[in-house]
Amino acid sequence: MKRRPAPIYIVLQYVILIAAALFAFYPIWFAILASGRLGSRLYSLNLPGMFLPTEWTWENYRVMLLDKPFLTWLKNSIIVATITMGSSMLIATSAAFAFSRFKFKGREVGLIFFLALQAFPGVLALVPVAQLLTSLGLYGSKLGLVFAYTTGTLIFCTWNLKGYFDTIPIDLEEAGMIDGCGPVQSFLLIALPLARPALAVTALFGFLAGWGDFIFASVLVPAPDSAKMLVPALMGLANSMSMPWGYFAAGAVMVIIPVAALFLYLQRFFEAGLTMGGVKG
Amino acid sequence: MIGWSGRRKTLTILAFIGPMLLGLLIFNVYPIIFTAYISLTNRNQFHPFPDCTQIASRLIEPTCWGVTKAQTGLGAPFKVLEPFYANYTDLLGQFFTGSSFLNLLRIIACVVPLIVAAQVNKRLDRRLARPISSGAVWLIGVASMVAVALALNLGGAYKTLIGTGDFIGVIVQTVLFVILRVPITLVVSMTLAMLLNSTYLKGRAFFRVMVFIPWAASSLAILIALIWQFFFREQGTINQLLSAIFGIKGPAYLAQNWWALFAILIADIWFSYPFLMTIILGALQSIPVDQYEAAEIDGATSWQQFAHITLPLLRPAIMPAIVLTSISAFQMFGTAYAMTAGGPTKGAGMPGFTEFVMVYAYKQIFQTQAYGRMGAFAVIIFILLFAATLYSLRMTRITKGAYE
Repeated sequence: MKRRPAPIYIVLQYVILIAAALFAFYPIWFAILASGRLGSRLYSLNLPGMFLPTEWTWENYRVMLLDKPFLTWLKNSIIVATITMGSSMLIATSAAFAFSRFKFKGREVGLIFFLALQAFPGVLALVPVAQLLTSLGLYGSKLGLVFAYTTGTLIFCTWNLKGYFDTIPIDLEEAGMIDGCGPVQSFLLIALPLARPALAVTALFGFLAGWGDFIFASVLVPAPDSAKMLVPALMGLANSMSMPWGYFAAGAVMVIIPVAALFLYLQRFFEAGLTMGGVKG
Repeated sequence: MIGWSGRRKTLTILAFIGPMLLGLLIFNVYPIIFTAYISLTNRNQFHPFPDCTQIASRLIEPTCWGVTKAQTGLGAPFKVLEPFYANYTDLLGQFFTGSSFLNLLRIIACVVPLIVAAQVNKRLDRRLARPISSGAVWLIGVASMVAVALALNLGGAYKTLIGTGDFIGVIVQTVLFVILRVPITLVVSMTLAMLLNSTYLKGRAFFRVMVFIPWAASSLAILIALIWQFFFREQGTINQLLSAIFGIKGPAYLAQNWWALFAILIADIWFSYPFLMTIILGALQSIPVDQYEAAEIDGATSWQQFAHITLPLLRPAIMPAIVLTSISAFQMFGTAYAMTAGGPTKGAGMPGFTEFVMVYAYKQIFQTQAYGRMGAFAVIIFILLFAATLYSLRMTRITKGAYE
């Protein structure tokens, strides 16, 4: 809207925006504050202490990094999330390209069928997937988790990428084909470089499927402590009564900050890379 | 594509989509078949093992495939129920009784005034001169809704309905949660998107980054939900603030039914509004400015511009997003699990007041191990969500490309 409203409305709009920004940021800020405080003092806070870092210690971080197996959990989660991202991108980009560019029988039915599969919620597939992995000898291993996560993200990734490939004009590939490009070359050399925003967003969601999951990670890799993934391990820390809450906060901050940074870095891609696909994970 | 067909084409396409099909077949299609089969049996903690001599179990049950040694143990193996749909009638039977139908009708009756108001408004819009403004019609609608709710004792109807049985209680609670969460999320994200889109405000880039943060955190919903739980504890941040500023002693929010629901709502709105906001912001930027200029010349107020230009043009973009948010609200797990784990309790052995569908399923799998019943539960939820997905497809035509 072009017209500039009356000053009172502008003030009101700033008030709403500032309130929203505080609402959005405070939980994260609170976690950061709590991570710098010793556990027993968490409950006896003074008012400014809840908003400002009145005291700060690295003790919680030291305990998490050196005394607890945080780095092992971190390593497990990074391995699983990275492999999940890589394999789902590899499988989904080629499938999305085929569904966008090739005409073949069963293409329409297939796309609808995938969405139907997506409607079966992950929690409810827990028992069969656990049994399947047990009988394949993969229960309790990282590879089993990677299988479960990769197949869980495939449909979203394929739909999102297909939506983006559809918006890229086919003329370039036809020009390439006249110059002797096969379907594989036109996929690798022409379509993929053009789909960069969608690839970035899709890769991020693939990574997060492995990084943030609790349900599968807690059931498929329940023990030992050294094999656990980050999120269930931190949940376990928070739920054990004897543990100072500051440890959990320090762990959570170390898990969330890199993801938040990545999101903010990729934010400019989000509108372009997501709205076309039209499906949320 | 040009100049290739026959076997070579088939092989190329298979090479492109084969890995995906294989993965989906093993980890998505197979679990559904397995669940559908188990839902017909009496599998539970007393009959956990399959009878591998039975043809159906031999084919579907992984432990019968002989890769690892088949498990055996005490107790008879599970078998197909007699009649085979017994689990389904067990779950749905609670629903088809006179009293739960009556209670459901009482709840639906409360929505009728709103529907009537919407219809009346639609009619009046077609006339040249409105005898009564649309706001007044809505006001009357809301007032009569409150009157009907009081007359029919809405709270009592809800209470008896969720106390009827596990399945119906959990579904009704989840639907209530979705009905409350989605409109509030929509209003929050619409307001923020409109503000972030107004060019005369300074510092928009900064605010955009700030209000975007919860989306980044939502991938780790279960960890942040623990922080939200800390705010709402009896000794938590909110009560400390209340006692420091006003000297009031706040309640133990998470131990009281409606407060617990309220707390989960706030936290889950925090997680979910940035997605809708981003979609709306993208759609807002595609509305041409000259539409507003023309309206301005005709003397339209800002509210009229919003109601007659912005909203209709946003509709195609937001409708699919609303359906998707509703589906994800229905499937919400992390927030409720971390904050209340389903509580506060309604009674021994019954699902808690905030035990939504996925929390219930997760807890049931571990606590009662009633796999057969849970299988039937899963199949019914699957059908509900599948119908919602198809409906969203029809509305959004995101399959438009697929039909070309």
